Amino acid sequence: MMFLAWNEIKKNKLRFTLIIGVLMLVSYLVFFLSGLATGLQNLNRESVDKWQAEAIVLTEESDKSMNQSSLTIEDAEAIDAKELAVIGQINAVAGNGDVKTKVSLFGIREDEFIMPNVTEGKVFTGENEVIASDVLQDEGFKIGDELQLSSSEQILKIVGFTDNARFNAAPVLYGDLSTFHRVKFGEADELNLTSINAIVVRDDNIEAITTGKSLELMQVETFIENLPGYTEQSLTLNFMIYFLFVISAVIVAIFLYVLTVQKISMFGVMKAQGISNGYLARSVIAQTFLLAAVGVIIGFVLSLITGALLPSAVPVAFNLITMSIYGLVLIVVAIMGAVFSILTIVRIDPLKAIGG
Amino acid sequence: MAVLELKQVKKTFGSGHKQVEALKEINFSADKGELIAIIGPSGSGKSTFLTIVGGLLTPTSGAVIINNKNLSDISEKERSKIRLKEIGFVLQASNLVPFLTVANQLKLLDQVKKGNMTKSQLDDLYEDLEIGELRTKYPADLSGGERQRVAIAKALYSNPSIILADEPTASLDSDRAYEVMELLKNETKRKNTTTIVVTHDIRLVDYCDKVYKMTDGVLLQVNERNDKRDEV
Repeated sequence: MMFLAWNEIKKNKLRFTLIIGVLMLVSYLVFFLSGLATGLQNLNRESVDKWQAEAIVLTEESDKSMNQSSLTIEDAEAIDAKELAVIGQINAVAGNGDVKTKVSLFGIREDEFIMPNVTEGKVFTGENEVIASDVLQDEGFKIGDELQLSSSEQILKIVGFTDNARFNAAPVLYGDLSTFHRVKFGEADELNLTSINAIVVRDDNIEAITTGKSLELMQVETFIENLPGYTEQSLTLNFMIYFLFVISAVIVAIFLYVLTVQKISMFGVMKAQGISNGYLARSVIAQTFLLAAVGVIIGFVLSLITGALLPSAVPVAFNLITMSIYGLVLIVVAIMGAVFSILTIVRIDPLKAIGG
Repeated sequence: MAVLELKQVKKTFGSGHKQVEALKEINFSADKGELIAIIGPSGSGKSTFLTIVGGLLTPTSGAVIINNKNLSDISEKERSKIRLKEIGFVLQASNLVPFLTVANQLKLLDQVKKGNMTKSQLDDLYEDLEIGELRTKYPADLSGGERQRVAIAKALYSNPSIILADEPTASLDSDRAYEVMELLKNETKRKNTTTIVVTHDIRLVDYCDKVYKMTDGVLLQVNERNDKRDEV
């Protein structure tokens, strides 16, 4: 069935190169948007994914926002789960004298599972020491920098860097709980020694976990979906991708239909000669598969090259599994676009070929 | 035993006042090795006759029998198989696939007919029709006569019992037309097939063993003892 398909492509190189070009551009756009969607999602969630936790406990009145949740270490002690970690969080603007950037400060306990790995430097040990997201490195921050924070008199010192540490689009600074308390409460920190924002839970059976009154335990995915702008952003990009699937099906349908209409008399002759609809349909499908596969593969490679050349400020992250699925979907929808042509072929009356 | 038989075949189109009787009780038979011409003006029913014989159209009544198989008793799929295996078509407009070389035109048939011709048989076919030099050429690069020779090669591929030719010389000048008819005659005898040529060109009847005249759906054999041209 590849015989007819391949020979036609070989004979009409320009025509089919144009079709492959259009499919390549559509798939390039799909892959790039999917990279952008993943990149933007990572921007919001990578520090949370790094916890590898199942659930998070916030106050009910916080409406699933960690920033607005206020609870205590005693609340954590009252929860019976396999593993727990407490976290205090505050947003701020940090500057080293040269550069300023928005950051999210996480106050954690060094011996708990949300303690990040250190890719460069060392872990925090002293007062006001922090491990920073390596995104800050790209922005001009380095180990030993002293950070001035907005709305706080405290000076933090970068002692190490960690990877995959962004929360709600802001690079994360990890410090101990007392550093967090000093930043958040200033001179009143002694009065708020047990204050935290959330309790992170690692337990396969979260349904069995009970929390104190006015607290809410939710799956980490639910928590992420409620990060400001996260769902809206994801939906927008995903809708664009889904529309592109429809658009690619329509483009293929139009192209192949026009080509088929031009070949009606040829198909009529073939059918008069006894060549079955099945053979001709398989040939059209094989041709569409070839065109779509080549277009998708070129689009795939171009996306990866573009991703590698873009500056790190562009939040593109390619997930090869997602891209492979989208690539397959593009090929499948292209083949679905060929259905119109197949129906046209089936309806061709071979009598017309003989002038009956 | 006749290869092809039509028994009281009638074909009407439309109904009521608009009913047209395209074929009126046709009785016809053809044997192996016969080259038969069906002559008649446009609208006389020649093409209807050819499409019914080719299994592309079913008669309103009567029977079309090809190698003892009544086409009315079998499904469209089986008719399609008979067209593929037992009938070769040569059409007035070249029936070649524009994006296939001459060699690939025959290779396509080899694929759909599940390869029932050996390489030496294929070489003989190229030689008989003098198209060996054209193997790598596309239809657009061939002359009208060359295209029809390739079309005849396609029709003869895998030795069908019947060749149906619809105005095979319509697009050719006289010399080329005679050349094509000579070729059809030779191949009919050599391969012992039955060839039916539908045409309005009376110059071609000299090449045929039998000549029938179609007038308003009525098919009559021309008296073989008289000059065929005078009769038609």
